[in-house]
Amino acid sequence: MDAQLLISGVIFGLSIGSIFFLMAIGLSLCFGLMRIISLDQMLYYSIGAYITYSVSLGTGSVWLGVLGGCAVAGIAAFAVERLIFRRIYERELTFSMITSFGILIGGIGVIKYFWGVVPRPVPVPVMTQIDIVGTEVPVYRLIVVAVAFLVYAGIWLFLNRTITGKAIRAGIEDVEHVEGLGINVSRLFTITFIIAGTLSGLAGGLHAPLIMVDPQMGIEVLAFVFMVVIIGGLGSIKGTLISAFIVGQVVSIGSLIYAPLAQMAPFAVMLLILLVKPTGLYGAALAKR
Amino acid sequence: MLKAFRWWWGILLAFSLLAAARIFLPLPFINEVVIFSIYTMGCSFLLGRVGFISFGQPAYLAVGAYATAFYLFYFGTNPYIGILLGVLAGCVVSFIVGPLFVRLRSDYFALVNLALAVIVFYLMQKVLAGITHGDNGLWFLTNIASTPVLDLSRPNHFFIFAMLVALAVWAFYKYLDDSIYGACCLATKINEDKFTFLGYSNFRVRLLAFVIANTTTALAGAMYAVYLGFVSPEMSSPSRAADPVVVTILGGVGTLYGPIVGAFAYTGMKDVISKLIGNWELFIGFLLVFIMLAGEKGIWGTLEPWLEKLLWRKKAAAGTAGPDEARR
Repeated sequence: MDAQLLISGVIFGLSIGSIFFLMAIGLSLCFGLMRIISLDQMLYYSIGAYITYSVSLGTGSVWLGVLGGCAVAGIAAFAVERLIFRRIYERELTFSMITSFGILIGGIGVIKYFWGVVPRPVPVPVMTQIDIVGTEVPVYRLIVVAVAFLVYAGIWLFLNRTITGKAIRAGIEDVEHVEGLGINVSRLFTITFIIAGTLSGLAGGLHAPLIMVDPQMGIEVLAFVFMVVIIGGLGSIKGTLISAFIVGQVVSIGSLIYAPLAQMAPFAVMLLILLVKPTGLYGAALAKR
Repeated sequence: MLKAFRWWWGILLAFSLLAAARIFLPLPFINEVVIFSIYTMGCSFLLGRVGFISFGQPAYLAVGAYATAFYLFYFGTNPYIGILLGVLAGCVVSFIVGPLFVRLRSDYFALVNLALAVIVFYLMQKVLAGITHGDNGLWFLTNIASTPVLDLSRPNHFFIFAMLVALAVWAFYKYLDDSIYGACCLATKINEDKFTFLGYSNFRVRLLAFVIANTTTALAGAMYAVYLGFVSPEMSSPSRAADPVVVTILGGVGTLYGPIVGAFAYTGMKDVISKLIGNWELFIGFLLVFIMLAGEKGIWGTLEPWLEKLLWRKKAAAGTAGPDEARR
């Protein structure tokens, strides 16, 4: 394999890993704090992508579309949390999984109703390419990676420097003590869920120019996001970042070697890691409250 | 009368009711219900008895269906051998992935299983497209030879065969429920630490349950393949991964007759509603959410105690009337 192909492969892997990271962080946070598995994050991802498509078609600006996608995804997450998840926090974990899968399937039905089943293209906002060690690299992919690192830094600052963030971190350890200290846990849950939904919407908006937007996109990406979360360990942000980039590189380099490997290789990696460490790389032994 | 459903001949009663439904319902519908209830039985057993939720059932369904399809498309013509091969393939595959999967906690198990369904889907659609013909699927209806006693290429004979198989499956699960092994499964679900303390192995009980459930699913897949005469990757599509879970919950988790009631209700609703609105996914998604919010007992789970109470009250009324009469 020549160096040019390898470099573009690595950049591709980094950008796809960034998308996976943005989505997996929501799943991870929701599991850590609320002990739910929120499959409906994939729905907010699709919503983000579709809003990006519609807004960029209407105004001509993809960035505005991404912003709108984040906002609508956040609002949808807020509504779902208030109407549905509120009632199932104290039930078993599998319960939330089934319910959120229902929301995902139903949401895909809504998307099909509004936008139809035909795949839609979204233009790439930054067409320029820069030269890295003799390889032409699209700047947009680098921007996606930069956004992912900015979000990681933002989440880190939020969790370590603000009172709400500290409360969330404490809640991941022991939510009953946090409640005992007089912090409104129910509001904490809502905030976390909105953050998760917004980040998924951001992932969808950023991913839209790189692929075709179609109703099944959430389900297509589902397996990869799962693998990221499982490899990194449920509830760990650092683990999620590392495993997102591992999975991204495995997908990208794997598809360079042999195309169908893109789908199979991450699965093999996941099975290997689970064989060694059944809770993932950074997953602690978190029990259901 | 309702207590009869708890005894052995309750199974016969349930199936004779289903066979009676044959008189006034179309044959394809009943066939679909019977196969679907076998499909759901595996999921129901895993969820209700062992406490594992499996979104990966389509993977095992596809394994069974494709094993049968490969045999009928490339090698032979006898549908019975095809179905046998499908079941065997399901058993082998679940023995290979089982030891890896059942070590995991329930939440990880669900995620890994769903990932497996996606992988099988891609495997059948893209990676093995050379032999599975990708999205076009394999068509082998004309390859199925007529067999002497029960001719599976004829729908009404297939119906009798499906009923016999379902009867055998239900008898088997009834036997499991009554056996010590069934109690062991429930024990690992409720308190695995205590179960280990009593000297049993969680791993072995779960592995066996996993293999049994997924072999049942593969059987359903093989029967689908013979019944429809064609298979396509659509069968293991991740968007259909929720179907068995929905039906399990619709019918009532872990009850013996839940899968039949659920499959009946689900197939019926699908037929009626897909005629009214084209957007089937929308409906099933919100139905799932609604059932989960309303309570998780399902149709049979709600109906059973209610009917029992009704009958019991009648009996009690008759019982109090008796002594009154005597006193006079």
